[in-house]
Amino acid sequence: MKITRRDALLTGSALALSAAAPFVLPRAAWAQGTPRRGGTVTAHMQGEQRILNPALRASTGVYVVGSKIMESLVDLDGKGDPLPVLATSWESSPDGKTITFKLREGVKWHDGKPFTAADVQYTAMEMWKKHLNYGTTLQLYLEAVDTPDPHTAVFRYSRPMPLDLLLRALADLGYVAPKHVYEGTNVLENPANTAPIGTGPFKFSRYERGQYIIAVRNDDYWRKGFPYLDQIVWRIIPDQAAAVAAIEAGEIHISPEGALPLADLDRLKKSSNFEVSSRGNEGNAVMNTIEFNFRRKELADRRVREAIIRAIDVPFFCENFLYGFAKPATGPIPSSSPSFYPKKTPPQYPFDPKKAEALLDEAGYSKGADGKRFSLRLLPAPWGEDITLWSTFMQQSLQQIGIAVEIVRYDAAGFLTNVYRDWNFDLATGWHQYRGDPAVSTTVWYRSGSPKGAPWTNQWGWQSEEVDKLIDAAAFEIDPVKRRQLYADWVERVNTEIPLWMAIERLLISVTSKKLQNHHNTPRWISSSWADLWLAT
Amino acid sequence: MGFLRRYLRNPGAAIGLVLLLLVLAMAGSADLLYPRDPLALAGRPLQWPFQNARFLLGTDASGRDIAAQIFHGARISLLIGFVATIVAIALGIIVGAVAGYYGGLIDDLLMRVTEAFQTVPSFLLLLVLVAVFGSSIVTVTLAIGIVSWPAPARLARAEFLTLRNREFVQACRTLGLRDSAIIFREILPNAMPPLIVYASVVMALAILLESALAFLNLSDPNVASWGNLIGHGRGVLRTQWYVSAIPGVAILLTVLAVSLVGQGLNDALNPRLKPR
Repeated sequence: MKITRRDALLTGSALALSAAAPFVLPRAAWAQGTPRRGGTVTAHMQGEQRILNPALRASTGVYVVGSKIMESLVDLDGKGDPLPVLATSWESSPDGKTITFKLREGVKWHDGKPFTAADVQYTAMEMWKKHLNYGTTLQLYLEAVDTPDPHTAVFRYSRPMPLDLLLRALADLGYVAPKHVYEGTNVLENPANTAPIGTGPFKFSRYERGQYIIAVRNDDYWRKGFPYLDQIVWRIIPDQAAAVAAIEAGEIHISPEGALPLADLDRLKKSSNFEVSSRGNEGNAVMNTIEFNFRRKELADRRVREAIIRAIDVPFFCENFLYGFAKPATGPIPSSSPSFYPKKTPPQYPFDPKKAEALLDEAGYSKGADGKRFSLRLLPAPWGEDITLWSTFMQQSLQQIGIAVEIVRYDAAGFLTNVYRDWNFDLATGWHQYRGDPAVSTTVWYRSGSPKGAPWTNQWGWQSEEVDKLIDAAAFEIDPVKRRQLYADWVERVNTEIPLWMAIERLLISVTSKKLQNHHNTPRWISSSWADLWLAT
Repeated sequence: MGFLRRYLRNPGAAIGLVLLLLVLAMAGSADLLYPRDPLALAGRPLQWPFQNARFLLGTDASGRDIAAQIFHGARISLLIGFVATIVAIALGIIVGAVAGYYGGLIDDLLMRVTEAFQTVPSFLLLLVLVAVFGSSIVTVTLAIGIVSWPAPARLARAEFLTLRNREFVQACRTLGLRDSAIIFREILPNAMPPLIVYASVVMALAILLESALAFLNLSDPNVASWGNLIGHGRGVLRTQWYVSAIPGVAILLTVLAVSLVGQGLNDALNPRLKPR
């Protein structure tokens, strides 16, 4: 089933031997061998992007392209610890309100202007704090960025900012844009958003709508001798079956976003030409949710919510429907996040339909003459085939305990409006994307006070002062050990109250041609610079 | 009796009739053969046909019995076909009859409206209607009927134009019959044969339109329709092709049956083919 390293090497050598120069190439084909320079890597993109500037839009689809062209202050290494990129060192004042970054010297923008602290100051205040999704929450208490010299940026916060949270978050939310390009313009409408100018290893070349994006080698890159590749081409193929055909024909080398059908992933896994794995996507966990609308009196009863969770056989679903590419989640923090995953397992509600029926009876919803207790409308998000399967499975499972479920489908805009703005749902299900730190991506699903209409936030009509307090305390706690404990307490609390339920966790699955070398070697590799990626012949 | 003999003279029409009766029998026996909810989880997902005696046609990606969905789906497809056809033909007759009978300004006005509908591809219009009014089985069926009326309307108008000046109509006028009586009691029965033939085309199209909607995941997911099953199998097309192929064959045969029956009716109703 799994491809061993030996198989991989044999295939690599075989490929190399079939090429023209057998006396040099066998070495190049070894993963740890001498990297080969040159070549074009073609990557699959599922959808069009309106913006390619990751300083304005935090989304995997943007990072896949933007992170090769623009760079962040820090990246994460194989263990998930911060790694210097545009920032070379950092320190926090004892009260946690001042964080100082030393910036890399001798870095140039693609248009030749030097990179300085003024760029960091501008991006932080004008983009991260004002427009970047997740960034606006993260930088809510950022007061100012001082620039005592061109290579020092001092972030001043009005409330303590945990350094480990900031660094982990900045890997995704710390991309720096050039001040001289954006200053004095409408930031959101600036042409550089679709033709980005950065400091990264590749320079933007062209974007043909609906077809491809090309970036070429930056010869002036500050990491001398990098990148290895001459060019990266992203081909936009929305149709999943066409994308699978393209990767099998060798037209594309990598499909990074987990965008291929699970059935095909299962098939490609058995081929020796590809690596099908979640390696290098540890920083991007996806969780399938069950979202409850507390305005329905039945769902406002905790026993009913527990009964719904207990009625669904999640392990069976993961094994038979998701080809084992997923596993049951234990709470809002996925197990792929070792820094925050609680050491003590929080309350769980394993599959137990008898208990579920007893809970419903106890709550006063006994079966009517037709075997039904009550009926609910379920809105599935229209992205991801797993959501379609999961919503059908929920419908089938809840039917067994006497809850009739009507599935109501909408397109993406209709789903977001009906669930998060109009609250026109009973149950909803979609994805929660975990991004390395609960404060970045997860607590907004539970914290009260989100404006009506903000997608993927607490719009359930549920509020707990205790949970709000824990979330706030953890966000401002600068001691990492205490912070971890606060999140463990928080998970314990929300797993007890069940305002919503994260049922399944899985990592994005990338399909990568074995010709690519040095890939998926950091936890957010698909969103990294690909400077050390090379292509064996 | 003569009618039936004339109908059966065409072997294609006979085959069509047998197929259609078969589909009707499937729809009728669905509750007897598969009493369980066809959308309930029945077993391990994606079992191939003929491997498990419990699931003769295998299971789909959600672990539902494909055979049960085919039998129950026959009802939905026939229901959508019949109701949508009735809606389309009824609308078409009313518009076409009024336009053809009165002529003049009313005719111009109604025909421009019909042409406006005809210039928009019917499937696009259907997508818009479903996006606006939702995708329950009732709205989908009505929407299919609404996008299918222009062609029957033009057909009805053409028939009325040729019939309105015939002697029997003039006789009715001199007898002082009301317009509505002339239209519905005198002209319409004579205009019906081509409309009945055309109804079979509309019905076949209606079944196909619903399948196309379901393929795009825009039909009602709470009923077991053949189109839904095809849409459901799209994700596993490369590996478990039978999930889409089996309902595809069912749709093909039903549409073929309806078309053949329509062809047979055309021959049987055509007075020129009547033996003297």
